[in-house]
Amino acid sequence: MDLQQALSALEGSAIARAVSKSDHMVGASLQIVHIIGFVLLLSSLVLVSLRLLGKALTEVPVERVAREAHRLSWIGLALALVSGVLIFIATPRLYAGNLAFQTKISLFIVASIFQLAWFRRVATSGPRHPAVVRFSVAATLVLWFGVGLAGRVIGFI
Amino acid sequence: MNPEVPSWLAGIHAWAERIEFSPLGVAIAESRYAFLLIEGAHLIGLAFAVGLLFVIDLRVLGVFLRDVPVRRVIGSLRPWVLGGFAVIFVTGILLFWSAAGRLVLSPAFPLKLLLIALAGVNALYFELTLARSGAGRQDLALPRSARAAGLASLVLWSLVIVFGRLIPYLPAWT
Repeated sequence: MDLQQALSALEGSAIARAVSKSDHMVGASLQIVHIIGFVLLLSSLVLVSLRLLGKALTEVPVERVAREAHRLSWIGLALALVSGVLIFIATPRLYAGNLAFQTKISLFIVASIFQLAWFRRVATSGPRHPAVVRFSVAATLVLWFGVGLAGRVIGFI
Repeated sequence: MNPEVPSWLAGIHAWAERIEFSPLGVAIAESRYAFLLIEGAHLIGLAFAVGLLFVIDLRVLGVFLRDVPVRRVIGSLRPWVLGGFAVIFVTGILLFWSAAGRLVLSPAFPLKLLLIALAGVNALYFELTLARSGAGRQDLALPRSARAAGLASLVLWSLVIVFGRLIPYLPAWT
């Protein structure tokens, strides 16, 4: 089965038909959940980044901010992922061929790997070299805001 | 595009179209690069302003960083929230400039502006309540009225996002 066939099969699935046949306000609601989830994810990353750089909440240990922000990022990610998958499967072939969507998914994969394999370690265990912290913060923010921006562009190209 | 502009909206629509088709409006709308930069800055501003405000609201409600004094969380994040709002307002006005004619036709757009105004009034009320309840105190829990304002902030800003996204979906005024 190649990608096109897989996408067609996905499109024909019961859940995909349920989403695509529903009122367009269902699609709008899914997008709203997607955006709010993503804002939660971004804001918790911004919070940890500001703390790592010593620009906010300096009297609270980094590990504590990271631990609490961590829960918030998982909630945000869960909301964004579930709604995102539902939006995608309704018209998978439309999205799969979209350059902005492809960029978004590639950035999302890189950002997730960076987050789990590197950034989380920097945030939860010291000691931290200032240059390492600056690089990690810059990379994670560029990657995740890149995901958001690429997502915003999907409808415009 | 939309020939049936209701008469009560005609004046505003004509004004908005003049803005949209002004040199600046056309320049933003036609330059993919400028449009992308402004959208990107708007998104970054959103994550700082509304995102960190969500963090503050969650602290006010006692579900986030609950053993850190509320005033410290707010004091520490306030400059970033305000900076984010400055970016959102400037980029938001530029985005409006490039699509004004279409925007004023959607009922979701004035609703979004109204909700932003309400959220602003709510924030002011919250700040006053906080100031009245003792500016120097390092308490961990806030008076009920301040917590209610925190919840209202969470709901109002979520609704701002909701109506922003609904702009292209809600049927135009008739």
